Amino acid sequence: MNIKINLLAFLLLIFSINANAQIKVGDRLPSLELLNTSSEKINVNQFKDKFVLIDFWASWCAPCRLGNKKLVKLHAELNPAKIEIIGISIDTDPNKWIKAIAKDKITFLQLIDPNGFDAKSALLFGVEELSSKYLFDEKGILIMKNPTEEEIINLIK
Amino acid sequence: MKIVHKKYILLFALTIMFAATSQAQIAKAEIQATGLTCSMCSNAINKQLKSLAEVENVEIDLNTNTFTVTLKENNSLKPSVFKENVEKAGFFIGSLILTVKPETIAKEPYILLDGKEKQANEILIQVLDKGYVTNKTFKKLSKSYKNSLTFNNNDETDFHIKVLN
Repeated sequence: MNIKINLLAFLLLIFSINANAQIKVGDRLPSLELLNTSSEKINVNQFKDKFVLIDFWASWCAPCRLGNKKLVKLHAELNPAKIEIIGISIDTDPNKWIKAIAKDKITFLQLIDPNGFDAKSALLFGVEELSSKYLFDEKGILIMKNPTEEEIINLIK
Repeated sequence: MKIVHKKYILLFALTIMFAATSQAQIAKAEIQATGLTCSMCSNAINKQLKSLAEVENVEIDLNTNTFTVTLKENNSLKPSVFKENVEKAGFFIGSLILTVKPETIAKEPYILLDGKEKQANEILIQVLDKGYVTNKTFKKLSKSYKNSLTFNNNDETDFHIKVLN
């Protein structure tokens, strides 16, 4: 009986650790394959030797849409050989996603994981609110969560 | 052991019967949340509501910014549980509309302020108390219902309602 309870507690513990698995500063950019706007599979870890900024957003998230405008400007300012900006949308309706990309004039890479906060990428990264940004360095190590524009510019210079 | 078992079954049956006949029952709650940030942009409310044992399902309508919470049968939740949990998640209730059985609102802690009692299978009610509507709406309501003996007492244990259907 006691062993059973212990086992149960142990399993619960393991499960809760897994359930809360999320990327911490110092962790490596995981392999994660999602579709882009042309329905091609793209792995977020395929960009070697450059910084990677991942931005989680959705078309219905008003603060994210404002953030998109800033990211578009930032993307134009930065050297594309040094940083890859990747937007991951958790929109459940891909049409709304496509429309939002056109409206916000986004030119950087856009991927979709159409399952809201239950999306596997959102769970993997531990996204609890939108927008959420993750900045990885040239070696693919997470160095900052939600960096400011200034912080990104200073690092990429 | 067998006797104990029987006692439990009896207790269980009584609990179910008691719950079914006398407990105020809410079938569904439609919540609009407000706050300093976009309520739909956070997973906090959804997570908080799903953590309740009585909650069967939470659906999010992004067009109306509404959380629709389906509750398990024979629950004994009061409207205050939604306010408490939305606030725990860091937001406030902007509007709370409940789907209830007609007999639910015929007794305490519900006080009918507006609309008529109906003999429908399910009725829709909105909770009008402070903390269940926006501050702006509450100010308007307290003027409209200034003749009510209880509305402006802000007693947190009673719920003033309007029947919507």
